[in-house]
Amino acid sequence: MAQEKQTVHSAAATSGAAVHEDTTAKWFLISAVVYFLIVGVVAIIIAAKFVWPEMLGTVAMLSYGRLRPLHVNGMLFGWLLAADMGLTYYLVPRLCGVKLWSEKLGVATALLWNVIILGAVVSLLMGWNQGWEYAELPLPLDVLVVVAWIMFGINVFATVATRKYQQMYVSLWYTMGCILWTAFVYLTGNFATLFTTGVNQANLNWMYVHNAVGLIFTPVGLALAYYFIPKAGNIPLYSHKLSMIGFWSLAFFYVWTGAHHMIHGPISQWLQTISIAFSLMLIMPVWSVVYNLFATMKGHWPRTRDNVPLKFLMSGVVFYLLTCFQGPMHSLRSVNAIVSKTDWIPGHAHMAVLGAFSFFAIAGTLYVIPRMFNVKLHSDALANWSYWLFMVGGIGFFVTLWLGGFWQGWQWNNPSIPFIDTVKALKPIWIVRFFSGIFMLGGIVAFLYNVIATVVDSAGAKPEVQGA
Amino acid sequence: MFKKSGDNAPLFAGLAVVFFMIGGLLTTVVPPMVDRSWGKPFENADASKGPVGKLEAYTELELAGRAIYVREGCWYCHTQQTRTLLADTKRSGWRGVDSPVSTPDEFVYDSPHLFGTKRTGPDLSRVGGKYDEQWHRTHFKNPRDLVPGSIMPPYPWIANDEKEFKAMVAYLQKLGRAKHWRPDNDYEK
Ligand code: HEC
Repeated sequence: MAQEKQTVHSAAATSGAAVHEDTTAKWFLISAVVYFLIVGVVAIIIAAKFVWPEMLGTVAMLSYGRLRPLHVNGMLFGWLLAADMGLTYYLVPRLCGVKLWSEKLGVATALLWNVIILGAVVSLLMGWNQGWEYAELPLPLDVLVVVAWIMFGINVFATVATRKYQQMYVSLWYTMGCILWTAFVYLTGNFATLFTTGVNQANLNWMYVHNAVGLIFTPVGLALAYYFIPKAGNIPLYSHKLSMIGFWSLAFFYVWTGAHHMIHGPISQWLQTISIAFSLMLIMPVWSVVYNLFATMKGHWPRTRDNVPLKFLMSGVVFYLLTCFQGPMHSLRSVNAIVSKTDWIPGHAHMAVLGAFSFFAIAGTLYVIPRMFNVKLHSDALANWSYWLFMVGGIGFFVTLWLGGFWQGWQWNNPSIPFIDTVKALKPIWIVRFFSGIFMLGGIVAFLYNVIATVVDSAGAKPEVQGA
Repeated sequence: MFKKSGDNAPLFAGLAVVFFMIGGLLTTVVPPMVDRSWGKPFENADASKGPVGKLEAYTELELAGRAIYVREGCWYCHTQQTRTLLADTKRSGWRGVDSPVSTPDEFVYDSPHLFGTKRTGPDLSRVGGKYDEQWHRTHFKNPRDLVPGSIMPPYPWIANDEKEFKAMVAYLQKLGRAKHWRPDNDYEK
């Protein structure tokens, strides 16, 4: 096993040779963190509307149907993907041992990304909605996303092409895979859908929705986990071979599963069955990654005690394991008949996007901000607070929605219960969800304050010595 | 091959795309070519084959209503599919008659599709003809006046705009009407 172990540090130890500017990474991360807060406030408003449906009820722009897509798109593209891209701009040059190919192109990409997000806020509030989940943004913005993605891709691939280290670390594979797959997935969900209708269009839409998580946020998220867990914990990665199995099985299995969003629905039975079979096989890429990361931590768990980024990372891995166990289970017809279309589903989705992938991005941000700005993190205690606020809020949110959703599904399957009674029954669940949201918002505020204060510190204080 | 791709970027990128494309093409491009019902509008005159009826394209007014449905995000709370579950056929049913399940051929004029993923409110795939116009007007003004405990938002800006309201109702009354499955009259006329 020894010669099989691949270390991140072997790459990093010599990275002193290249002096990294990180301007692009800074721009992406700081704007991402600010959107995290703004969209977090939107999240609280829509959670409140479940309990007080008449709140802000006469303002069309602030009605549930306008704010929900703003919440989803804002979190996915304004916060998470932007943070992931920022962290990618940080780690790719370091893993390649060279400078980023072009900081100018990178900063232009960051600027364009902000234009897209602001455009998205305006269009979604105005109700300029295309009617496809995750692909709500109007066509001109879709085109800009494609342009930004090409700019991002060119920068990453050109950096890889000029790399000094022959061997590519697993985080680089996931990053490159993400960029390539996303190109096709995004085109399918936002452009191919224009030429189709009905079930055919729905099939393309769900191929996109599913793979937005599976082939965009998963690979880029795992790239972060594979980079930051060994870095933050100062431990070599357990197995190179296992990471290879995880990567290639992800590349092959993930894309087959889109139709599991329409189980029991008006779509060919055989396609549903294929999607179920492949959903079950997803266990393979997931467990090989999780095993690898746990085995890396073996014997080093005490290091999570006062290392907040590591805490976020390993909790994220646990949530990743759980959410990716739920996914295949939901696709089984018998389970699907109960949980599909219920409140269970947002519980599941939030565990993936908040519990797993946002935790990785938060950890990465907390790790790189002090290093890029050459100061200490403003407050470790505050970072710890944000961790616990996210954990309490997150678990409160996930668990109550699972219980509530399961119960809701049971009631729906008994047609003698009037629908409205199943709505009234969930009121307590939605109240707990709202207060869990307040905790999460507290976590966001603590995290944002910490990041901004660190940046401000760097402007005033003398540079501290920190390993790059 | 996989080992080599670990330090050969072009080989790596090529393999990653090929792996993805196999499933990508087989699950998106191929299915509509195999299953013709995805593209052919529903038409059935033979009662022995299930509910009779014919799917007709949306009128201008119905399309305008549909656009409002999309704009207001009704589809985040309402699905439009009666699934192959007994409970679904009962809940979409009408006065003790079970609704037929939704089939792909009923949706060929739908763009964007509005199948939905979440049922915060009831499924609307067979709501056409269930309520009359006055019911909808009251419901849009404030759902709780008709259904205490509802968490549907009020839509005064639709209810009070005659043009929008008429379009919206025309669309809702069209939903699920391709199949004639109701025993007799409904509220529509
Ligand atoms: C926040 C979620 C939500 C949104 C958004 C929403 N609804 Fe509803 N809707 C509900 C709930 C809950 C009910 C059940 C209680 C009731 O009848 O008010 C319902 C009921 C209905 C019904 C009656 C269905 C039946 O079979 O009794 C219709 C019709 C309807 N909604 C249409 C719409 C339209 C049109 C829009 C968009 C303009 C919309 N809804 C937006 C939650 C929502």
